[in-house]
Amino acid sequence: MTKTDHPLQGAATALKYLVLVGGAFIMVFPFVWMMIASLMTAGEIQLRPPVWLPAVPQFNNYAELVDSIPIARLYFNSLFTSGIIVFGVLLSSSLAGFAFAKYRFPGREFLFYLILATMMIPFFVTLIPVFFIVRQLGWIDTYQGLVVPGLTSAYGIFLMRQFMITVPDEIIDAARIDGASELSIYWRIVLPLIKPALATLGTFVFIGAWNNFLWPLLVLNSRELMTLPLGINSLRSLYADNTNLLMAGTAVSVLPMLFVFIYLQRYFIQGIALTGLKG
Amino acid sequence: MSVPAVKSSWFTPDIPKSPLMRRRMLWAYAFISLPILALLVFLLGPILFSGWVSLHRWDMLSPVSEMPWRGLGNYIFLLTKDRVFAKALGNTFLFAIGGVGANTVLGLGFALLLNSPVRGRRVWRVLYFMPVITAPLALAVMFSFIFDRNFGVVNSVITSLGLPRQPFLSAPSQVLMTLVFIAVYQYVGYYIVIFLAGLQGIPQDYYDAAQVDGAGKRQEFRFITLPLLKPVMLFVVVTNTIGALQVFDLVFATTGGAPANSSMTVVLHMYNTAFKFSRMGRASAMAFILFGIILLITIIQVRLLRDRAYGD
Repeated sequence: MTKTDHPLQGAATALKYLVLVGGAFIMVFPFVWMMIASLMTAGEIQLRPPVWLPAVPQFNNYAELVDSIPIARLYFNSLFTSGIIVFGVLLSSSLAGFAFAKYRFPGREFLFYLILATMMIPFFVTLIPVFFIVRQLGWIDTYQGLVVPGLTSAYGIFLMRQFMITVPDEIIDAARIDGASELSIYWRIVLPLIKPALATLGTFVFIGAWNNFLWPLLVLNSRELMTLPLGINSLRSLYADNTNLLMAGTAVSVLPMLFVFIYLQRYFIQGIALTGLKG
Repeated sequence: MSVPAVKSSWFTPDIPKSPLMRRRMLWAYAFISLPILALLVFLLGPILFSGWVSLHRWDMLSPVSEMPWRGLGNYIFLLTKDRVFAKALGNTFLFAIGGVGANTVLGLGFALLLNSPVRGRRVWRVLYFMPVITAPLALAVMFSFIFDRNFGVVNSVITSLGLPRQPFLSAPSQVLMTLVFIAVYQYVGYYIVIFLAGLQGIPQDYYDAAQVDGAGKRQEFRFITLPLLKPVMLFVVVTNTIGALQVFDLVFATTGGAPANSSMTVVLHMYNTAFKFSRMGRASAMAFILFGIILLITIIQVRLLRDRAYGD
């Protein structure tokens, strides 16, 4: 859209960038302030009038943090459990989605509508019974208690089915004529064709699992199994009077994920726009 | 072709005749068996069980077979006697209305800005999107500090301008507004991306034609952009409402419902009722009331926005 220059055009453009910069400042500032505060002394945070920067950056805060909570262990727990959940959801959703998209069997419509209906169920309605089930299984304070209820996703099955239905039947039939088994059709032909959808679903599920708080809070007790959000939560009481250390802990848990996001941003955002419009 | 001529329906399951088709059918059942089993165990079973529990008194320790029956007692108590629940419902509605309103207006507004000719679109998008992928719990901790009455940076700025210190999260009059701000901060980037994708899906031809007819920017927005954006609007409003009505992490880690339950939300109250006070029946009834409300609101929103989308 090109237009001839108009005196108001310049002002409008300036205003546009002003709004964008203002918005971006609000978005970025909390992260920056978290990092600045994490380098202050406990005293500097409480000074009046306030100081905006630490006199001497206290990198020590991070050393102290590492001494008081097992950061590496928290990272391992978060990565490990989120990784298993992503793998489980991708596998179960793509297998079921494949069956719903490319096979005919009695009960298919009924089961698919059942899955659509379960997509509507919010987590809080099933929270108490699922907790009860996990407790009856003796899985409180275990990885499997954290992970197993999350290994399937009705939304995932739905999404995979929507994408797999676009895979032409001719390709599948051709593979059958060549003697491919059903499993190898799934693994060698259909899965590679829906890689972008798998990546998108995997990203969603990963962020959800990585940031999940309520379920781990209920299931896990011991420090050895804690995920990152639980770690931050325990810092809240541990560092009630040391906001600088609390901010250091939050920074350590948040920033690496942000860097990964910035590195893969285009792909993240496109996927989210795509599924948002499909759903 | 692998597709038989007869169309299957709910009522007439067509069992394939040839052995080859039967084998494929068995494969399909094998593929869906585990996922369906898991959904039964962790979703469908629990929702039925939860409904059953909501009609009883249960502390989760006594055997399921010995739960005392309460009929609709839990529901009646919640809707007539539980002041905290009433408060929580009100707060949750206000939180959702504020959040959905602001996210929709700001999301669309910034999407329009980013859809116009602008430098560094990708950079803006990334910056606005950063909070979306950050753990709500981490943001809650960051903003508790930022909005702190005594040491918060917002108050530092306000007081250095000579204005009075604000309580934000620590006063009933400001706490919900502050929580809405944090929630909008977290999710507006997501809605910007969704709206932007919607805007980019509107064919340029329509705007060209409008310009030929002499339409102004405002008319283009009113008669082309808004009507064509209605499906996206529907998605944004519905998903955002559903999410906002379930808010937990943010409130748990900022105020815990304080002061004086002025930021208590339904899911937080449910969590406390179930896992602090071991009243599983009452908490399950709460869950069902909220679930019912969410379904009702969703249906109303879909009706309203869809009818207008296809009505004219």
